[in-house]
Amino acid sequence: MKQLTLADEIVVLMLRDDTGEIRKECAKVADVAIAGGILMELSLLGKIDTDMTSLFVVDDSPADDDLLDQALQEIAAEPKRWPSARWIEWLVRQNPNLLQKVLERLVQAGILRMENRRYLWVFAKRAYPQNTGREKREAKARLTSVIHSNDVPDPRDTLLLGLAESSDILSSMLSPEEMRRARSRIADVVALEEIGRSVAAVSSNLRTALIAAATARFG
Amino acid sequence: MINSKNTDTGGDRVEVRKESAGGAVVYRITGKLDAVTGPNLDSAIAIDQESSRVILDMREVTYVSSAGLRAILLAARRAQVAKGGLALFGLQASVKEVFDAAGFENIVPVASDETEACSKLAG
Repeated sequence: MKQLTLADEIVVLMLRDDTGEIRKECAKVADVAIAGGILMELSLLGKIDTDMTSLFVVDDSPADDDLLDQALQEIAAEPKRWPSARWIEWLVRQNPNLLQKVLERLVQAGILRMENRRYLWVFAKRAYPQNTGREKREAKARLTSVIHSNDVPDPRDTLLLGLAESSDILSSMLSPEEMRRARSRIADVVALEEIGRSVAAVSSNLRTALIAAATARFG
Repeated sequence: MINSKNTDTGGDRVEVRKESAGGAVVYRITGKLDAVTGPNLDSAIAIDQESSRVILDMREVTYVSSAGLRAILLAARRAQVAKGGLALFGLQASVKEVFDAAGFENIVPVASDETEACSKLAG
């Protein structure tokens, strides 16, 4: 497999090491993170760009990746310019199985394996343990490095940090004290990228809506 | 010394002129910084151990997209790796909006004029 895309990396980071299942705190916003990762990767490849008002295609030639190319074609086919947040929401709505698609491609690449498990002898559930764990270790090392330094961050790491922050992965990587000390640095780095800010906004809105729905249902 | 690099991208151009000033290398940029012209900015900015203190004169930059911002960050990163630094000045109001939204000044020094940019590099 080529270098992992940001969408691939964020899914690997979301998986629990012990069970191979998606962390509960990430599950509800996983598709948002993946959609954001797809747009971020297209941006790094120079296929799309964003400014304060909209996201737009710069180069619609194939990116040589099925997931990226599908999104690129859909964006290129839309005559109107939308903000990146709207594109994130649209990609999530149009692709209800985004998480599953990324998990399957990671299995095909040999990074994960699929296991069918049963709980309480009845309930079937799939888990995706990592084969070596190397990819997750590398991603975590890059995130830790950018968090704990004062250096100008690498753009790819900046974007990955934005996805990790929005998915609430960092709380599993850092102690509460480390989080407290790193909060300002994390905020400064994540703010640098427009798509990262949009992922944060869409994730936050989704969490708020889910909490409101749960509150309305259960009182 | 003045070097000039133009990139004609069918109507969207960026011109970069290089000058030496006060121990730093000043790049005077004219035009738009985006996904098309950003890579050309990156290649126009030569950073090594002798020329690692870099100032970007942004007074004639009319538009910066996310890719343009990223090109500036990449240059700042290269300058930092070379044990120098990068500062910029002269943001037009619409461009300043982009930099403020990104909190750019928390990572790279932004000054109001060239003198202040020089002093921020020294600090």
